[in-house]
Amino acid sequence: MSWPRVFAARMRCLFLRSRLDGELEDELRFHLEMQAEDNARKGMQPREARYAAMLQFGGIESTKEEYRERRSFTMIETFFRDIRYAGRTLRNSPGFAAVVIASLALGIGATTAIFGLADQILLHPTGIVRPDRIVALQEKYEKFNLKDIPLSAPNFADVRDSRAIFAHAGAMRVIDLNFTGGDVPQRLRAAAVSSEWFDVFGAKPVLGRVFSPEEDRPNANRVVVLSHAAWVRLFGADPTVAGRKIELNRQPYRIIGVMAAGFDWPNPTDIWVPLALPPPAFAQTNRFNENLVVVALRRPGVSFARANSWLGVLTARVFNSRTPGASAAKNAGYAMYCVPFLDFNAGDTKKPVLILLGGVVLVLLIACSNCAGLTLARASKRAQEMALRGALGASRARLVGQTLTESLLLACAGAVAGLAVAWGATFLLLRLAPRDVVSGIDARLNIPMLAFTAAVALVSGIVFGIAPAWHLSRIDPHDALKGSERSTTAGTARQRLRSIVVVAETALALILLAGAGLFLRSFEQLQNVNPGFDPRGVMAATFSLPQSRYPDGAAQSLFYRSLLDRLAAARGVAAAAVGFPGPFCDCLDAGGFVLEGHEPGPGDPGSHADRRYVTPEYFRALAIPLKRGQTFTETDRLETRPVAVVDEELARHYWPAENPIGKRIRLTDGTKDWYTVVGVVGHVLSSDLAADSGRGSIYFDLYQIRAALPNAWIIAKTPVTKTPGSSASIAGAIREAVRSADPAEPLYNLGPLEDRVSESLAPRRFVLRLLGFFAITALFMAALGLYGVVSYSVSLRTREIGIRMALGAGKGSVLRTVLYQGLRLTAIGVAAGLAGSLLTNRVLKSQLFEVSAFDPLIFASAAAALLAAAAFASYLPARRAVRVDPMGALRSE
Amino acid sequence: MENSRAPKADVLQGTLVLLVLRTLEALGPLHGYGIARRIEQISEELLQLNQGTLYPALLRMEQEGWITSEWGPSEKNRKAKFYSISPSGRKQLARETRDWERMRSTIDRFLGSMPETLMKEIP
Repeated sequence: MSWPRVFAARMRCLFLRSRLDGELEDELRFHLEMQAEDNARKGMQPREARYAAMLQFGGIESTKEEYRERRSFTMIETFFRDIRYAGRTLRNSPGFAAVVIASLALGIGATTAIFGLADQILLHPTGIVRPDRIVALQEKYEKFNLKDIPLSAPNFADVRDSRAIFAHAGAMRVIDLNFTGGDVPQRLRAAAVSSEWFDVFGAKPVLGRVFSPEEDRPNANRVVVLSHAAWVRLFGADPTVAGRKIELNRQPYRIIGVMAAGFDWPNPTDIWVPLALPPPAFAQTNRFNENLVVVALRRPGVSFARANSWLGVLTARVFNSRTPGASAAKNAGYAMYCVPFLDFNAGDTKKPVLILLGGVVLVLLIACSNCAGLTLARASKRAQEMALRGALGASRARLVGQTLTESLLLACAGAVAGLAVAWGATFLLLRLAPRDVVSGIDARLNIPMLAFTAAVALVSGIVFGIAPAWHLSRIDPHDALKGSERSTTAGTARQRLRSIVVVAETALALILLAGAGLFLRSFEQLQNVNPGFDPRGVMAATFSLPQSRYPDGAAQSLFYRSLLDRLAAARGVAAAAVGFPGPFCDCLDAGGFVLEGHEPGPGDPGSHADRRYVTPEYFRALAIPLKRGQTFTETDRLETRPVAVVDEELARHYWPAENPIGKRIRLTDGTKDWYTVVGVVGHVLSSDLAADSGRGSIYFDLYQIRAALPNAWIIAKTPVTKTPGSSASIAGAIREAVRSADPAEPLYNLGPLEDRVSESLAPRRFVLRLLGFFAITALFMAALGLYGVVSYSVSLRTREIGIRMALGAGKGSVLRTVLYQGLRLTAIGVAAGLAGSLLTNRVLKSQLFEVSAFDPLIFASAAAALLAAAAFASYLPARRAVRVDPMGALRSE
Repeated sequence: MENSRAPKADVLQGTLVLLVLRTLEALGPLHGYGIARRIEQISEELLQLNQGTLYPALLRMEQEGWITSEWGPSEKNRKAKFYSISPSGRKQLARETRDWERMRSTIDRFLGSMPETLMKEIP
């Protein structure tokens, strides 16, 4: 017995069935002929001889059957036969097949597209090897409600040296680099990274190499690594670019490598330079100077929990050391911790993406339900055929298999069409989505995506095929062969099944509609939030002065003063100012401060506030209301008394019952100046319309600071604010003023401030649009399903309607009956959907702004929309019912 | 003639392979009908072969590689499928012959000097 040989022989015969059947026929015929001849020779008549030959042989058919069974694999042959049969029957109903394939293509395609995006955002960001093993390290001050704080250099050093826990650790700081090689200076998105940065991500260069530890030092760091995109964009993918010298920020640098396509972190990045922290950066006095983004790769075998507890050990070491500020930090609830890199990277997009996933799955389920309903409707036509086959001996498994094969065939076709839909949908999504949500994501159809589509198609096919298949196999042949659809129990069972399917569809559609409605309401609320300043008519741009030419605050002040003089004098500019951090940007400068007369005691964490450095016109340019006292004036300079302006939030918190004007505060960053509070202004939202940090701000006069700022925002306002886009006219004025002040430094992010504010809503707007699209699709499909059921029911009840009309029922009464049937089903669906929403909407709560997840108005609107759609869907068949000719209906069957 | 009619199916099926292989080895290539006739002839009509079981058995033997087949002209110049034994078929024949001999001698021993052997001491 040699199984492989037999297996191979059987495989060969799998595809030669008809030829082999012919050969068997020939062989058996030959045998019978020979036998008949021998019988004739023995003296029988020819007919007798043939008859005797057949008797002598035994059962010819059973021989053939046994032969065929041995020859190949019957199950596979049956499968192929089922597929061919299903293909034939589907070709006979092209309308049905088209609708089912289209619904499935939409459902499967949309699901694949969203899953593909979700995979790249949440699970497998491009260019990163083993993202699940990478962690992002952060600090928190629990008492100040501050978390997601970057690490200080000494902390980074401790993490890097923890070789037992982390295989690699890298630190990063975003910096500004101006590429001054060409005729026009270009700003590059740059990051200064430590030497092991690329190792953490497992990213490899495609040309040259990455930084060595020797180059990560202050005097050896004039080397850069280009990103793939920048290499293509700036150097035309020139393969000889390694070793070339370029000029950045007026300094010579050498290109030593180009990264492979796909890796871009921190994305987007054009160019990496070494972080090159000088030794003083690692001094203990710098322990709480937090400005480095740190990521680390866990060693194999080190769990996430173990890494976190190790960071607790490092934190304890800081407390036990003699580091200045350690006890204050401990009181503030300071701790180092880590989060999975994937969560860190996904950030705020995680929840919305999951919600979109849920939404698209609901759409897929509704599409499957529609297909199930259509298949059931079609099953009615084939009930007789199935019953006959069952009566002739087909086993239930075979009948189920046959019908399921048809569904699977449809699902396959739907999957293939769905792939095209998915590709197109992904392309569209990437166009329409806000840039920061989808940066670094490409529309690729790779093997996991194909496998996913195949799996979804398989599950969908089974989901929408199993109910009709199982139902069909249970038909009592006697019953089905008997007669008309309406009189059979199977017929009514089918109608009931279809009604259940429609109810389920309606429930799912309600959940989607209500969810979309809640998001819409939430979005509207957000648009009405007052950010604390007026962005209308204001143009803003970001600008950075290189430290080499403007080394301290005094040099910067000179520059900005002359810049603002020019800008304020330009035509169309009503006010001009400079500020850092800029309004509504996602950057934070916060620090501790001390109130005069309230030196912090041993257990007191001290006070914490956001810091902003602005020129005097800033408040007027942004229309931040002055509540008390005055703002900065032109007379405030480096030599005069240091002044500060606080916002209402700070004033309320620290001077609840007194007038803050005249009070003095001091910063805890080591400087000794006492700042006198001269005014109180309104509170401003820092970067998110939906959430406020709850911290107050202290404004300092930019002309009074000593240290240079890393970058600054230039703001200019036009006198006309009512018309949107009015600020465009002064974009030129800003550029001109900057160029005449210093032609070498480029301006970037030049744009209306209104755009920046509304851009913060862009992710929400995107989710809203998608959810809205899903909801409308769901509504449409549910209405279509309902139409199918009601329409079919009308055709079943034609005779009954005819009788009723003959007996005197008016058209109105018939119309009402049909409408009532449709609306009743929808009402049940709506009720089920409301119950379902109670479960699902808890998930939405965190995404909604000032809208309850169970807002009755929204639910009522969603229900009303569904009922209206149902009424319309029932109206069309109702009209048909009304036009029934009673005599014709009574005659027909 | 009843006792010469050996039980069909089971027993014959077990030895059918042996009979077919031996027939082909001794008489050279034969078609299916020829094999059936020869088996009946050689057994002097003691074996009534269920002809229907022959073809599935031939298929199995061809799958195992013990016989090969070829279409060719019969004695009356009709198209027929001829089977011949293959080298591995000869090995299989030798194997099955050995098994059969072993089985026969075992049963012979039982049917032979039974009483004396039974009277021997059983430890």
